[in-house]
Amino acid sequence: MPPPHTGHCFCGQVSYAIDAEPVASRVCWCRDCQYIASGSPTVNVLFPEAAVKWQGEIATIGKVADSGNRVERGFCPQCGSQLFSRTVEPAGASIRIRAGTLDDTELMAPQAAIWLDSAPNWAALDYSIPQHRQGLDSPLVGQER
Amino acid sequence: MPAPYTARCACGAVTATVTGEPLGIRLCWCRQCQQIAGGSASSNAVFEMSGIDLSGHLATHSFTAASGNTLTQYFCPGCGTPVYGQSSARPHLASLRLGFLDAGQGLRPDAVIWLEDAPEWANIDPALDQYQQQAPTLLPKV
Repeated sequence: MPPPHTGHCFCGQVSYAIDAEPVASRVCWCRDCQYIASGSPTVNVLFPEAAVKWQGEIATIGKVADSGNRVERGFCPQCGSQLFSRTVEPAGASIRIRAGTLDDTELMAPQAAIWLDSAPNWAALDYSIPQHRQGLDSPLVGQER
Repeated sequence: MPAPYTARCACGAVTATVTGEPLGIRLCWCRQCQQIAGGSASSNAVFEMSGIDLSGHLATHSFTAASGNTLTQYFCPGCGTPVYGQSSARPHLASLRLGFLDAGQGLRPDAVIWLEDAPEWANIDPALDQYQQQAPTLLPKV
């Protein structure tokens, strides 16, 4: 399906439309994401931030991520659905839309996994995509992990 | 590592201490869990509610599941961390989210449920018990 790509939180209070194609998709096992994703990794589909139009009330929390970037994470204050992570500093990064809120969760399959250094030992890893120890420029985790 | 288990949300406003061992630990790929949990399955350790000592304010969201039961999701209103889920059919149990529980306590999943809702790209550990929908009800270990 061509854009717009649409999505909403679980209760429907927040919805969005994205007038662009995704630029990437990846899985993140950093400890911050495990909190958000109830113990699993987050699955994030990346878009140009300006292409996303939001509706509804969104709660946010600011944080310095493991990458050192200053990020802001958004969730629905009514149902708790995790919606996005955006980079405040440095500017220009793509916004990470949490895949579970997309109407089409098959829109783009994950192409890489990051922050395996923080993953629990029970994490099921898909070695058909790169599994990075930290960010995308970090070494890969081997299958002997 | 045996009980007691400790837990805190991302911002630290909600904490818990849990006595007793989990009845089961399950990854849930139902569509609702994907929406709540950032796109993955939710990861849940099912404990007896009586063994969970929670502190801090929790926000709630309830809905009627396909089963007809009311499911309530509890989360931290400050940071959005999912804390636990509970079914009206089993109010003596709580599904504590593994991300809320502190790391390194030896808790690991034994089953995957609601695989019929999982996306094509979901990566499933073949060593875990797998169910297309709900798994059999968990009973206290004797």
